[in-house]
Amino acid sequence: MYVELKDINKSYGDFKASKSINFGVEKGKLIGLLGPSGSGKTTILRMIAGLETPDFGEIIIDGQVVNEIPASQRGIGFVFQNYALFRHMTIYENVAFGLRVKKEKKKYIDERVRELLKLVGLEGLEKRYPSQLSGGQRQRVAFARALAPNPHLLLLDEPFAAIDAKVRLELRSWLKEMIEKLGITSIFVTHDQDEAIEVADEIIITNQGRIEQMGTPLEIYQDPQTPFVASFFGQPSFLKDYQSFHSFEAIDNYTEAIVRPEFVNVTKKNEVQKYKSSASEGVVTEVSFRGDSVEVQVSVNGEKLSAKRSLELQPVTVGEKVDVFVYRMLVTEGKRVHLLENQSLHEDSVII
Amino acid sequence: MKKEERNAAITKWVLIGITILFLGIMLLLPLIVVLVQAFRGGIAAYMSAVADEYTIRALLLTLEATLCAVILNTIFGLFASFAVTKFDFKWKKILTTLIDVPVTVSPIIAGLIFILLFGRRSILYEWLKAIHIKVVFAVPGIILATIFVTFPFISRELIPIMEAQGKDEEEAAALMGANGWTIFRRITFPHIKWALLYGIVLCTARAMGEFGAVSVLSGHLRGRTNTLPLHIEILFNEFQYIPAFAVSSILVVLAIFILVVRSVLESRGKKEYES
Repeated sequence: MYVELKDINKSYGDFKASKSINFGVEKGKLIGLLGPSGSGKTTILRMIAGLETPDFGEIIIDGQVVNEIPASQRGIGFVFQNYALFRHMTIYENVAFGLRVKKEKKKYIDERVRELLKLVGLEGLEKRYPSQLSGGQRQRVAFARALAPNPHLLLLDEPFAAIDAKVRLELRSWLKEMIEKLGITSIFVTHDQDEAIEVADEIIITNQGRIEQMGTPLEIYQDPQTPFVASFFGQPSFLKDYQSFHSFEAIDNYTEAIVRPEFVNVTKKNEVQKYKSSASEGVVTEVSFRGDSVEVQVSVNGEKLSAKRSLELQPVTVGEKVDVFVYRMLVTEGKRVHLLENQSLHEDSVII
Repeated sequence: MKKEERNAAITKWVLIGITILFLGIMLLLPLIVVLVQAFRGGIAAYMSAVADEYTIRALLLTLEATLCAVILNTIFGLFASFAVTKFDFKWKKILTTLIDVPVTVSPIIAGLIFILLFGRRSILYEWLKAIHIKVVFAVPGIILATIFVTFPFISRELIPIMEAQGKDEEEAAALMGANGWTIFRRITFPHIKWALLYGIVLCTARAMGEFGAVSVLSGHLRGRTNTLPLHIEILFNEFQYIPAFAVSSILVVLAIFILVVRSVLESRGKKEYES
C-alpha cells in the first residue's frame, strides 16, 4: 500500500468528522472519496495532506508514518476546491512557485513551467493573471501548479465543483487521462456519484465520518455492502412490501427494498413482455422527458417505482395501465444488503 | 420630468447641500480661521513663531513619538491580525474586542492608567528608578501614551481584508514547501500591502495629533516634554494667539499632506484589488 490510514479519528469540538477510518491505496491508483456533504471526506484529504492533524491513528505514506511531518515537507500536490491560485501572480509565476521555493535552477524552472503549461494546454497564457482565465483554465493551472514540484501523491478537493456542467464533462476525462499518463497516485474528493464512477479506479464511500465501502465502481454499484451505499446511487425507489412483486426470494425481517430505475422494465399492454407471467400491473402516475430518455413513475400495489423508457418506444401517458417487470432489487436487513434476482430470469436460462 | 424623478433630484441636492454646509461650518471655517489668525501679524511674525526653539523641539518630539508609535504599532498590528485571522483559538473574540479598547476609552483615562502604573505610587517606580528609567513626565511616557492611543489603527484595517481572503492561498504555498516567512513575503503581504499602508497613514495622523493622554503624562516641561499640540495649548493659554495659530498651521499642513497620501493610497489599492 502506498498510502495507508490506520484507525484515524478526528473531532472538531463535539462534531466527529472521522470515526476510525481505515483504508489503503495502491501506488498509481486514482481513488475517489465519495459521500454527501458533511460526511468527512474533505477532512480525510486534509489530514493526508497535513493541513489537519488526526486526534488519533496513523497516516502512512510510502512506508513512513507522516503524522509528525509538516505539510510543507510531505511533498504532496494539492488542488483546492476553489483552486487557491495566487491572484497577484501570473500563470507562469503560479506554476513556478513550488520550484522557486525548492531553489531550483532558473533554467530548469523555465523548462518545467513551459513543459507543464504545454501538458495542460495553456501555452501562451503565461503572462495572464488568474482573474483573466475561465474556470476550466484555472483548474488546469491549479493542476499544473500542484504537479510542478514532482509530487508522488496528488490530492484533489472537489476538483470539478466550481465549473459549469459542459466543461466539467470534458475536464473529467481530461483529468483521468492526464493522471493515467503520469502514473501518479491520486485521491480526489467528490459528492457527485457520476464523477466518481467515471473518473476513479476505486471508490471509497464515506458517510457520517465513517467509511461505508471501498471497491471498484462496478463492485460498489453491483454489490453494495451497506444500506447507505445501496441507496446512494441513482434515483432509487424504496419498497415497503417487496413480496407483492412476483418471483423474488423471501427474506424474513427485511427493512426495505431498493429498486434503481435501470432495474425496472415498463411495457405497454400491446408491447412484448417476455416475462409477462411474473410482471405486475401498474398505473403510470408521471411522465417526464429527460433528454436522452423518458422517466416514468408507476404505481404498483400502492408502491411507487421509477423507471426509464427509450425515446424510440411508443410514449406512455399518465393513467395508462402498464406491465412492470423488476429484474432485481437490493433488500436491506438491518445493516446487511441482499441482491435478489428475479427468479423467472433463472428459470428462463434453465430452459434454454 | 416625472414626479418621482423630481423628488429624487430634490432629495439628492438637499442631502448634498446639508453635507457641504455641515462640512463648511465644522471643518472648513475653523481651518480658514487657523490660517488667517496665523498670518495676522504678517509673514515675519509667523516665521519667528514657527522657527522658535521650543516650537522646533516640540515638532521633533512629536515626530519622534509618532515614529516610535507607528513602527511598534505596525509590528503589533501585523502580528495581531495574523493571530486573529489565520489561527483558531479560545478567547479570539475577547482579543479582537480588547484591541479596540483604545478607540472607546477616553485618552485622559489612558494617561491616568500610565501615571498609576509608572508613577510614584506604583510598585514599579522604585524598580524603574533603580535602572534610571523615568516614564512619567518624561519622553518614554509620551511615547507610551501615543502607542496606546493609536494601536488599533493598523489591525483594524488589516483584519477585515485578511479575514475575507481565507487561508487557501497560504495553505497552497505551504503544501509546495514554502516556510512561514516565504508565505508571508510572497503570498500574504502582496494582498495586504495597501491596507497596511493605509493603516500606517491613519496611525500617523492620529499619533501626531494626540493630546489627551500625552497631556496627562507630559508634565508640560517646555522644550523637553512638550509635543506640538501641548505647545499650542501653552501658547494659547499665555494669550500668544499669533504663535499659537502659527504652530497650529504646521499640524494643519501635516494633516493635509497625510490626507493626500491617504487618498492616493486608497485609489491605488482599489485599482489593484479590482484587477
